[in-house]
Order: sequence, then structure tokens, then C-alpha cells
Amino acid sequence: MENILTYIIFTPVIAAVILGSIRADIKSLKIGAILSSVIVFFLTLYLSINFNPNDSMQFSKTLPWISSAGFSYHVGLDALSFVLLLIVTLLMPPLYIYMHTESRKGYWYNMMLLQTGVSGAILSLDLILFYLFWETMLLPIFIMIGKYGNSMHQYNAMKILLMTILGSMSMLFSILYLGHIYFDTYGVWSFNLNDLSALSLSVKTTSWLAAGFLLAFAIKIPLLGFHTWMAPAYASSPTPAVVILSAIMAKLGAYGIWRFGFSLFEEVLIYYKPYIIFIAIIGMIYYAIKAVTEDNLRKMFAYASGSHLSLIALGVILSNSYSWSGSLYFIATHALASAGIFLMIGLTYKRFKTINISDLGGIAQRLPKFTFFFAFFALSIAGLPGTGGFVAELLIILGAFKHHFSIGILSATTVLLAMLYIFWMLQRTLFGSINNNIKDIDADDLNSKELLMLTPLVVMLLLTGIAPSLFTPFIEPYILQSLDGITPLLTGIR
Amino acid sequence: MRDLLYASPMAVMIIGAFVLMIISRDNLSLNRYNIISVAFLSLSLILQIYTFDKGNSTYLFESAFGKTFIIDKFAKLFDLMFTIGSILTLLINTDYFKRQNYFNGEYFAIMLFSVFGMMMLSHSNELVSSFIALEIATLSIYTLVGYHKHKAASSEAMMKYIILGSLAGALFMLGVALIYGAVGSIIFSDITIYIKNTNIADMNLLLVGSTFMMITIMFKIGAVPFNSWVIDVYQGAPSPITMFMASTFKVSVFALALRLYLVSFSSINEFWIEILQVITIATLIGGSLLAISQQRIKRMLAASSIVHTGYMLIALSSIGLGAEMAASSLMFYLIAYFISSVGAFGIISFLSSQEQFDLTYDDFKGFAERRPYMALLMSIFMLSLAGFPSTIGFLGKFYIFTSSIESGQIFITALGITTAFISVYYYFKLIAVMYFYSTDPRQKKLPIDVSTVLIFIMAGFVIWGGIGTNLISIIPGADGFITIAQDAILSLK
Repeated sequence: MENILTYIIFTPVIAAVILGSIRADIKSLKIGAILSSVIVFFLTLYLSINFNPNDSMQFSKTLPWISSAGFSYHVGLDALSFVLLLIVTLLMPPLYIYMHTESRKGYWYNMMLLQTGVSGAILSLDLILFYLFWETMLLPIFIMIGKYGNSMHQYNAMKILLMTILGSMSMLFSILYLGHIYFDTYGVWSFNLNDLSALSLSVKTTSWLAAGFLLAFAIKIPLLGFHTWMAPAYASSPTPAVVILSAIMAKLGAYGIWRFGFSLFEEVLIYYKPYIIFIAIIGMIYYAIKAVTEDNLRKMFAYASGSHLSLIALGVILSNSYSWSGSLYFIATHALASAGIFLMIGLTYKRFKTINISDLGGIAQRLPKFTFFFAFFALSIAGLPGTGGFVAELLIILGAFKHHFSIGILSATTVLLAMLYIFWMLQRTLFGSINNNIKDIDADDLNSKELLMLTPLVVMLLLTGIAPSLFTPFIEPYILQSLDGITPLLTGIR
Repeated sequence: MRDLLYASPMAVMIIGAFVLMIISRDNLSLNRYNIISVAFLSLSLILQIYTFDKGNSTYLFESAFGKTFIIDKFAKLFDLMFTIGSILTLLINTDYFKRQNYFNGEYFAIMLFSVFGMMMLSHSNELVSSFIALEIATLSIYTLVGYHKHKAASSEAMMKYIILGSLAGALFMLGVALIYGAVGSIIFSDITIYIKNTNIADMNLLLVGSTFMMITIMFKIGAVPFNSWVIDVYQGAPSPITMFMASTFKVSVFALALRLYLVSFSSINEFWIEILQVITIATLIGGSLLAISQQRIKRMLAASSIVHTGYMLIALSSIGLGAEMAASSLMFYLIAYFISSVGAFGIISFLSSQEQFDLTYDDFKGFAERRPYMALLMSIFMLSLAGFPSTIGFLGKFYIFTSSIESGQIFITALGITTAFISVYYYFKLIAVMYFYSTDPRQKKLPIDVSTVLIFIMAGFVIWGGIGTNLISIIPGADGFITIAQDAILSLK
């Protein structure tokens, strides 16, 4: 099983290619897609049994890919990528259950390609390989928004594509320049992260190179000022795409800063730190206020997730033990909660043909199960005690206080604001009297398939919230190890 | 006798051209002519592959021609591209020829003449013969561009091209004359010796002459500000000819340019750096501006081919600045561009024979539902032209940009990456209109014929050239392409 990561990455796309070349009909396509996600799920299960939290990089595999250009196929797994990989594999089967009635073939192919792209980006440790997957995962999202989306979807698809590629192009420039510096020093090409992080660079060059990377990640998260694609794209994506967008792809921005920022440019990140903290805090508050005012549920939760992702970014950049464990924990729990809530919004649309808060109301009287799940996911986004989000937010805020008192206060306000918009939204959508617009709609409560896809998410959220001690041993050694790696630098500069 | 073998690919081509010329009065069916010309081209291709490793760095019929024609891997690689390009042009467009009534036997003869001219150009080691070769190729192209003589746009394109092209040709001749005046010889190796032994201050005549020649080269590859003909000619010419010009003929001019810059003028390359850089910047920006505003796919591809010229010019100035990898990066980019543009233009001309529309962006609405496989292939070529990773176009850009960083042209690299970003817009716009709009499905089946199979193979090359590893030892991966490019460049020196 030394190639297990390779299997995890490529199983979905190989399944897609095989199904495509035999021109499978829709039924076998569905079975094939679900099967591929289940295979990956079991492979990941095998990984989690054999995963050793005290070891840094494991299951890694290095093969020459295009040797004359110095590209290598280098994949590996540590606690950071493991958390993200776990999320992807956990979310894929529920998403397939959600779209089981979907009969458009392109949908299924795109989802399989998306899974490969995302897990490849998470696992790759070669910069060009990472760039390849980083771009590849954009294509299915682009097609899904543009083809299966709604409300100005063609325009919004082009917008997310162009903005994201602007970021990746700046990252590409930095990658090429790094490779060139390596070539200058050692006389061979290499884009392997281990090789490149061993380079000693001048601060002036590095700050430009870091800016290239940071732009890409800031657009992906999105930090304030790089966010104009976010709300429209979330609003017009089909549900599976929006789940992947908010649960995984946005996190990859934070992951990128963590993985590449801290291993390649840890010295200059110190200089960017105040700016990123500033943008993140302003963003947290701005997005939260936008979320309060937004009437469209999708857009509201887009801004809500922007707010929380800024909190994650803040936690990552603060780089102390609290904030890092909080961020990593939040990456996982927020992914679960936002996947849940966006699935619920999808189900709301399926039932009531609207997702505007002003058109909804009084659902609780008619659909109790539906209401429970909706409220649970919404509250876990807000950080209800007992759900994983609470633990994570608490840790990040502790880390923020440790850094500076005022930053702690400001980041705590996001939680308050989140409570505000979530409760107000719940009150208007679920409770109160039945809205006239949906009075005549005869909606069913959640059926067994929907329960099947939502229950695992609920269980996971509760488990992470009530018993965080089950999970912390997995991430703690990693956090401490990597902090050890950068602390001398941090203190040295101070 | 050995020389005869080495000359056989070219000889087959010219014999084929004459044979087609003679039988063109016989009123055979177009299909028959097509098969005959493809047969000659394939015979030549086989001979080229057979002699690929033989007789390198010798001169063809040295006793008779002196050092006029050289045989090296560089020239042979170009020959391969020309032959493959024209075979693809003929085979992909079998339908096109059938549906248009203005094609006849001579068309195929002229096509072969033009390929012969290009092959002669890549082999020529002396200025006058390269001029003759260039003119054989371009005169054939002029004729082909205006082949649809009852269509005004076609004739207009030809007039435009022939007038500007002859002016450019005249400048080349003037340059040759000036160089002859300075050096007293027109053979490349003599020019090299002259340049090495002369102080740059005493070379005014040669510098002026070679600058004139550079203008011709810039004109033929469509660099800004010599680009005014490109879009109209590509648009007006019959689609197969556009395909032939954009992919094959454009590459052939680089055969001459590279030989001149790498061999003869290698030690005075710095002289042109500033001029080249200015032209590069203008080409990148101008081409992008032109491409964004186009509504027809053919015109968009024409304008974007100007941008690709810009990337190749980046490599040309990197060569001047002494970047080690620059020459082979340009060579690799040529291969990458050749493969992707043959595919993209191939699909365009294939479609223009099948569908009755203008091929604007709007006409492609819902194309993916009508012909899902064709749309997929088109998307692959678009991705490659845009330099999306996992395609050969990405590797091409990778080499160009790394070698230009190596030569210290940071600003131009950044500009190149910016224009690559802009190109994402107009290439992805096509993908977007193909996939994002629905239409009544008219055709779901993939009609399997020669054209589609060939386009499919080219798409396979595009993908394999981008991700192919050398782990599978039987099939050469992307490394294989790079090795070919490097070998070709090394054989020059």
C-alpha cells in the first residue's frame, strides 16, 4: 500500500475516464461515481488506521515526472493535509446521495474530476504538481456553475474563473522564479517543496515571491478586497459545487498559506503579518454585517463562511499553538457545518422553490425534522457550544488574545455577530407564522435518503464538539512540531 | 548516391507536385487527388524518418551546390513538422474539399510546392537559396489564400497579403544585397566567420542588411507592428489554408530565423535586443488587445496566434541575452504550438465544412450538446493554447518563461504571464459558450472518420505532451519532446 495516496487521488478520475470511454449510461455512471467515492473512503479509512500522528510526512512517494524540467511527482500526508483529505472523502458520498436524482451526465463527470483535483492539491508536495491540481480543480467548478447554475451563471462562472486564474498566474510566476533560483544555486531544476524550502533567499526577493503566492491564496479564501467573486459564485452554483467551494476549496487558501507560506517564506510572512491580520479582522466584521443584511440564504451563508474563513486565516497567520490548533480544528468543523447548511439550503429550494428569507417562514410547524437539521447546522456555523465549531472558535480567539488583547476582542465580536445573523435568520425562516408565499406548497419532511446523508455530518459535528480530546492527539504533535520549526525565526526577528 | 537518399524527401515532394500538376487536367475526383498527394507526402515522411539519424552535418551534393543546403537534425525536425502538418491539413479537410466547388487538382500540386519550399528553407544554408525557398513557399500560399476566387474576402485577403508580402520579400533581398556587399559571400558559415573577425563598429552595412532581413521575418510571423495582414488573411483564406498557414507556414519562418540567430548572427545578437524587446512587448499587448475584441473564432485564433508569436519572440531575445535553455525552449514551444494550433484550426475548418454558419462565438452556443466529443477536443486545444497545466502548451510556456527569467527579463516574463492570463479570457469564452448554453440536441454520435480520428490523436499528443512521464519506458513522455527539441538545437552548432 505504499502507493495509497496515488490511488486516493486518481481513483475518481480514472473511473471517470473509463466510464466516459465506454459511454456509460446514466445508471452505471451513477453507480461508478458512487463506487469510486466509496473506494476512496475505504482507502482513507485504511490511512487513518495507519496514520502515525507523531511522524511528520508519511506515505510519501516521490517519482520523477518530467525530469528534464525538474517536475517530480511528490505526494505525502501529514496531519494538516490529513484533516482536509478526510473532509473531502467524508463529504463525497453524502453529496452523491444528494444528487442521486440528477440525470445530467456532465454533473457526475465533473464531480469525479473535482474530487481528483481537490485531493491532488491537498496531497501534492511538488509546486508544479500542486499548481496543476490547483488549476484542475477550478475547471469542474467553472463548468458546473456555468452549465448547471442559476441566475447569471455564465457571467459568474467567468468571473470566478478569471479572478482565480489571476491569482494562480501570480503564483506561477513565483513558482517559476523559485525554480530558477534553485537552478542557479544547484544547477538542476527542482520544484520539490523540500528542496525549495532549503533555499536561502534574500528578503527583498522573497517578499515579492511571497506576494505572488499570497495573492492566489487570498483570492481563494477570499480575504476582504479579493472577494468580489464570492457571493455571486456561491449564489449561482449548484448545491454540490457550492458545498465543495465553501467546505474545501476555500480552506485550500488557508492551507496554502500554511503549507507553502510557512515553509518557503516564513521570514517574510512576519512582514505581511500585520496587514493580513488587519484585512482578516476587517473582513470578519464586514462579512458578518453583510450576512446580517443579506436576504438570499446562499449569499448570506457565503458571507458567513467568508467571515469564518477570515477567522481561520487569522488563526493561521497568528501562528501560536492555540490559534493553529484552533484553525486546523475549525477547518474540519466548519467544512462539515457549511456542507450541512448548504445541503439544507439545497433541500429548501427543492421543497419551496425559493431561498429568500423574506419568502420563507413558519417551516417549523410543518417540517419538524427538517427544522431540526437546518437549525443544527446553522447553529453549529455560529459556534453553538456542543458542536465542533465552538471548540475551534474558542481556541482561535484564545490565540488571538495571546497575540494581542485588542485582536482577541475584535475576533470575539465575529462570534457575537454570527449569533446575531444566525438567530435572526432562523427566526425568520423557520419560526413565526407561515409565510403566504409558501402556504400552498405541500412539502414533505426529510426522507430516509436525506437523513442518511445528513446524519453522519451531525454525528461528526457533535463528536468534535463534545469530545475534542478524541481528535486533538492527531493534530497536536503536528502543530507543536511545526511551531518548533518556525518559532526560532519568529523570536529571532523580534 | 548517399546524397540522393538524403535529398529523397524533398525530391519526392517536388516530383509529387509535378505529377499532380500533370494529372490535374484529367478531371479525377478530388478524393483521388487528395489520396495521391497524401501518398507522396507519406512517402516523403517515411523517407524522412528513415534518414533522420543519417548524414547529419553534411552538405547536400556538396560537389555541385557547395554549402548551399545543409543536412542536420534541426532541419529534419522542421521537415517532419511541415509534412505532418500538410498531411493533417489534407486529411482533416477531405469533407471540406468535397463540399466546396472551387477546389481542383492544382490545389494539391500548389500545396506540395509550398511544402517543398518550406523544406528547402529549413535546409538552406545560404541567403539567396533561402530567399528562393521562402518565395516558393509564400507564392504558393498567396495562391492558396485567394483560391476561392468568387469570394470577395478571399481575393481581398490575397491582394493584401501579396502586396505587403512582396514588399517584405523585397526588403529581404535588399538585406541580402547589403550583406553580400559587406561580407562578399552569402553562405552562412562565411558570414559567421566575418562577424567573428570584425569589430562591431565596422559592420554597419551588415547590421543594416540583417535588420532588413529581420523585418521580413517579423512580417512573416506576424509580429506587431507588421501584423496588419494577419487577421484579414486568416479570415479570408479558405479554412484549410488558414490551418496550413497558422500551424505549418508560421513554424517554417522560425526555421530560418533560428538558423540565422543561432548560427550566423549569434555573436552580435545583443545588437537587436532592445528592438526585439520592444517588438515583443508590442506583439504581446497588441495581439491580446486584438484577440479580446474578436467575435469570430477564426479571427480570434488568428489574433491569438500573434500573441503566440510574442511568446516566441521572448525566447528569441532570451537567446540574445545568452540564456542556455532559450533556443530549445523556442523549439519546444514551436512543437507545442504546432500540435495545438493544428488541432484547433483543424476543428475549425472541419466544422466549417459541416456546419452552415459563420463560426462566431454565438454560433458555438450549445455546441457541447450537439457534438460532445468535438467540444471536448476543442476544449483540450483551447486549454493548451491558453497554457493550462496538464497540456503541452503549459510546458511550452514553462520553458519560455523560465529561460526568460534566466536571461534576466523579469518585466517581459511578467508581461508574458499577464498576457497568458488575458488569453484565458478569450480561450475560455469559447469553452464557456460551448458548454453553458443548451440547444436541441441534434447529433449525439461521434461520426468516426479520418478527420475525427486525426484530431483525436492530436488531442492525445497535447495531453500526453503535458503530463506524459518517462516512467512508461516504451512510450516517450514529455521528456521525449524536450529531448527532440534539444537535439535539434544542438545539431546546429
